[in-house]
Amino acid sequence: MSETTQFRVLDFDCPTCASTVERALQNAAGVERVEVHYATGRVEIEYDTTVVDPETFAQTIEQQGYTPQRA
Amino acid sequence: MIDISERLPTEWYRYYAKHRTATIAATSGLLYAGGWSIGYFAGLDTASVAILILAAVVGGYDIARQGYHEVRNRTLGIKTLVTLAAIGAIAIGAYWEAAAVVFLFSLGSYLEGRTMRKTRTALQELLEMTPDTATVRRDGELKEVPAREVETGETVVVKPGEKLPVDGEVRTGESAVNQAPVTGESAPVYKTDGDEVYAGTINQAGSLEVRTTGAGSDTTLQRIIRRVEQAQEAQSSTERLIDRFAKYYTPGVIALSIVAFAVTRNAMLSLTLLVIGCPGALVIGPPVSVVSAIGNAARNGVLMKGGEHLETAGTIDLVAFDKTGTLTRGEPTVADVEGFGVEDREALTLAAVAEKKSEHHLADAIVEAAHERPAAVADGGTVAVEETASPPGESYSIPDPDEFDVVAGKGVVARHDGREIVVGNRTLLDDCDVEVPADVEEHVREREQHGETAVLVADDAAVVGVVAIRDELREAAPGVIESLRAAGVETAMLTGDNKRVATAAAEAVGIDDYRAELLPEDKQAIVEELGEDHTVAMVGDGINDAPSLATADVGIAMGAAGTDTAIETADMALMADDLGHIPYAVTLSKATRRNVYENVAIAIATVALLLAGVLTSYVTLASGMLVHEASVLAVIGNGMRLLRY
Repeated sequence: MSETTQFRVLDFDCPTCASTVERALQNAAGVERVEVHYATGRVEIEYDTTVVDPETFAQTIEQQGYTPQRA
Repeated sequence: MIDISERLPTEWYRYYAKHRTATIAATSGLLYAGGWSIGYFAGLDTASVAILILAAVVGGYDIARQGYHEVRNRTLGIKTLVTLAAIGAIAIGAYWEAAAVVFLFSLGSYLEGRTMRKTRTALQELLEMTPDTATVRRDGELKEVPAREVETGETVVVKPGEKLPVDGEVRTGESAVNQAPVTGESAPVYKTDGDEVYAGTINQAGSLEVRTTGAGSDTTLQRIIRRVEQAQEAQSSTERLIDRFAKYYTPGVIALSIVAFAVTRNAMLSLTLLVIGCPGALVIGPPVSVVSAIGNAARNGVLMKGGEHLETAGTIDLVAFDKTGTLTRGEPTVADVEGFGVEDREALTLAAVAEKKSEHHLADAIVEAAHERPAAVADGGTVAVEETASPPGESYSIPDPDEFDVVAGKGVVARHDGREIVVGNRTLLDDCDVEVPADVEEHVREREQHGETAVLVADDAAVVGVVAIRDELREAAPGVIESLRAAGVETAMLTGDNKRVATAAAEAVGIDDYRAELLPEDKQAIVEELGEDHTVAMVGDGINDAPSLATADVGIAMGAAGTDTAIETADMALMADDLGHIPYAVTLSKATRRNVYENVAIAIATVALLLAGVLTSYVTLASGMLVHEASVLAVIGNGMRLLRY
């Protein structure tokens, strides 16, 4: 089953920062589609619920050095 | 005792976590200043170096970590470059330069993040306008429930001073509602039975009972916010070009720096190249301009599509207006009735009988006038008030026609009491072989020169009356045309009315060009034709003129608050039915386009200047970083001007 979740990252300080997080999420297990927007700080992830828990996405974002908020 | 020892560190930690970037930048700055000052004292060299390295490590830890992830994810960017430069500087013993670069960069990042946070949270503030709970009438009792759990059709009670929790229709009560959060109108709007109200607006005076039509994420405000975010996220071709460029640019800068070192053997020069080559201002500038502009527009009740659309809107040089309901109020009323051979009242009644079943907006005006007025009172008192059976104000009953046919764009042909009644324009009468006498012609011409639409009434092939219908121009119209002209934008008016009526309206508002007697499909063709030499914006209500809005380079829908299709499809949607916002929307688009170019120019000029400075050895690591960060803050500041446009 695939589902969509959203986060809000308010501390992107450059467009590359957003691309980096996007790449990192793309490479995470169970992720089907990722959108990360520098302009609004919106992160949208479509993922397979049987493979991954959305909490791990928050950890991935933190690991890259940014602060995710639940949208 | 235990309380204090446990609470203090966590609170301190929480404060630190919240202000991490600021704390880091400040600490790094203090260490840098300290290390640099002690360096002046003889014998303290080692201490100075140690402190400067510490400054670089404290300030650089986060940057290096993010740089590491850039490398890992193959999205080489500014943080990779800064990390390389700092490590390189320490390696060649340029300690204070390393500390300076790191400190300046972390300070810059903190300021950038702070300002971007402001633009990113602007929309959230709109969302917070909606209350979390609603008072619902359930099983005859008032219950407080979460706003998103209110179901369609349920009645919500909103007390004076409260915000509306749902979209809906007023069932009972009346009040002034401040709709600014949704439509951007500053004046409150009077609402009573049957009027639409929106979640997030503020009930200012009376108590309202509202039948819910949408709650939770299915409200107009939520749709607005979703659309605004999509607009802010959509990239224009300029932005995509810059992004693609930036992708190759960073590895290019690294390669250049290596080549420079191989050629000159000057390590400082090649490290400085890394720093000044950061693509910061170039990639940040355009999105900041666009996000600020779209956010500002949203707060003023103007929804703009982003990216490509906004870029096109910036080149608008002609605005075409649909006349009815756009330049005019769209509320036609009967201004004058003239009977020919019959009493005025009889002519009006005949017209009303024929038009009773028609859904045309002019028909409504005629039927309403026939219902309400004992006699049509004209401007100039040409019509005598006749004796009537019922007292003034009491409504007349209009009999149904026996047969009835609409002739699209011309009028109606009806049968009543064995008579054939034809009500419509000159063309329809010609089609029905009704001759129009000279005195009627003269009267029609006169009314039309006043900007009124003349509707002819014929009873059994003889003209018996003329009903003149007026649709008042909006007060704002002449000012709007003037402002557009001042901004160097041409104007045109498209209308289905005949030439004389169109001329009168065009002269009254001061419009440059007008096209009359157009059928809906003609309007689309005219928009296409105008588009050959111009970037055309078409303004309409978004429903009847949807095709011409779609054909125009920029389709602008007015009064979109109640119509979701207009919100979704128009390139720009004015939530309020307020013509006065048009010049604002057009000039803001132009200002945004200019702003994007300014930002690109600032970025390129800075890099060019720095490059020249580096090659002539005027610019070193620290000063290069300072100028670079200054240019980033300059483009952000410039872009954010649009928030206050």
